[in-house]
Amino acid sequence: MAMTARQRARVSLYVQAGIFVVAVAALILATDWQAIGNSVFNFAKIGPMFPGIFATGLVNTLIYTFLGFIVGLSGGLLLALMKLSSFPLYRWIATGYIEFFRGIPALLVFIAFGYGVPLAFGVSWNITVIVMISLGIVASAYIAETLRAGLQAVPKGQLEAARSLGMPQWRAMVTIVIPQAFKIVLPPLTNEVILLTKDSSLIYVLGLTASQYELTKFGRDGISSLGAGLTPLLVAGAFYLVITIPLSLLARKFESRTARTKR
Amino acid sequence: MNDVVNSSGSTSTIHAAGVAIKDLRKSYGSNEVLKGISLDVAPGEVVCLIGPSGSGKSTLLRCVNLLEQPNQGSIHVGGFEATDPDVDIDKMRRKVGMVFQQFNLFPHLDAKRNCSIAQTKVLKRSQAEADKVSMHNLERVGLGHLADRFPDQLSGGQQQRVAIARALSMDPELMLFDEPTSALDPETVGDVLSVMRHLAQEGMTMLVVTHEMGFAREVADRVVFMDGGVVVEEGPAEEVIGSPSQPRTKEFLRRVLDPTHIDIEQ
Repeated sequence: MAMTARQRARVSLYVQAGIFVVAVAALILATDWQAIGNSVFNFAKIGPMFPGIFATGLVNTLIYTFLGFIVGLSGGLLLALMKLSSFPLYRWIATGYIEFFRGIPALLVFIAFGYGVPLAFGVSWNITVIVMISLGIVASAYIAETLRAGLQAVPKGQLEAARSLGMPQWRAMVTIVIPQAFKIVLPPLTNEVILLTKDSSLIYVLGLTASQYELTKFGRDGISSLGAGLTPLLVAGAFYLVITIPLSLLARKFESRTARTKR
Repeated sequence: MNDVVNSSGSTSTIHAAGVAIKDLRKSYGSNEVLKGISLDVAPGEVVCLIGPSGSGKSTLLRCVNLLEQPNQGSIHVGGFEATDPDVDIDKMRRKVGMVFQQFNLFPHLDAKRNCSIAQTKVLKRSQAEADKVSMHNLERVGLGHLADRFPDQLSGGQQQRVAIARALSMDPELMLFDEPTSALDPETVGDVLSVMRHLAQEGMTMLVVTHEMGFAREVADRVVFMDGGVVVEEGPAEEVIGSPSQPRTKEFLRRVLDPTHIDIEQ
């Protein structure tokens, strides 16, 4: 019996849903729940993680991310303006910086910065400063590209109108163009914060002391001390979601607001 | 700086400046857009630039406040020589109001703040003083009651009138209009033109690029017809629009004034 195109499409959807259900069922059946229960979902033994995971892990992750973002935002704005400069040297420097730090793993930057700079210059900085700068170095490369796109999305007429009113170039940028660019890039900028939150997990390589642990290091520490297998990492992972999901919702809100005001 | 010094009008608050353009040339690459333009505008005079698109009239206007950098020739505006490499460009632009085809209002500021922002940041007026000037000028263009609206809450005609108020708030001595009604719905064109007419009556020096022949004929002291980067014909409005002497002017006006006319000669 021949089916209409619409009927065929519906049957195809049922088949896809069926395959998905069978695959999930197969995974559940194949899982060794005994082993998983002991070493991944062993929530009975994680009591000692609290309240430290709030007071130390979560708080430090938030602090590191925030400091890194401040440095990244300032550096990113500077790089974006350099990339749009009419002076070629500025453009080359900015392009080189952005391509380099976007192209290599953040982990390598942290290692290089945490160990290389103190060796090279004979300085020993406070760990918070090192974290702030190394996270900021990586973040600024990503944020620069986002901001550059935002600056270019502001119509040329805005700068012309501001200059026609007698504003010098820098004043027109600060008062008229940059505020509008930030409004445009608010959703992608929020996504950069999410990425940065997760990148902050890599700074464990810098050799933190117990009071400096962020979420991931806190979780890894729990693996060796609690005897609950990987469960502490699972808990740490959940705490990242506590940070990132609200940020995601915020980005979506910014996005719908931008879509509404766009004419 | 001979015939273009400021004349302080005794009856009006406007201090009108004149413009003197001599042998102005401007090229984009190998494309010469302005081929030696000379044009004088006396203080308080209203001059309309007309001509087909691509004739260079907007480029000429934008050269006057250096939004475009001319390649050759000289421009004097009030006491400034715009083409002097050492000119304080920002100081000069304070005296020259510019109104754009696309309004270019600042979308993140309400109408009043649009008018106040450059007063506070450039003229260093206090916020209260600037807002007072802004309100005065918004009322002048008939929009005092919409001072707290943002640009996207205003019609095109209202936005353009705010843009005029914004330029006037800097106390300019010369106003440049770059096709101010070309982007407007037909029913809002009249409000903008009537604001411009009042401004002309108050004695403002105005240089207007426009396709509104009725306005040019009624308000302009002089009309300049440009084509292909040169001034083809200039003279009193009634003369150039009413009885043009050059064939190119005649042809242009015939097309503009009677756009539905179908040419069946070929």
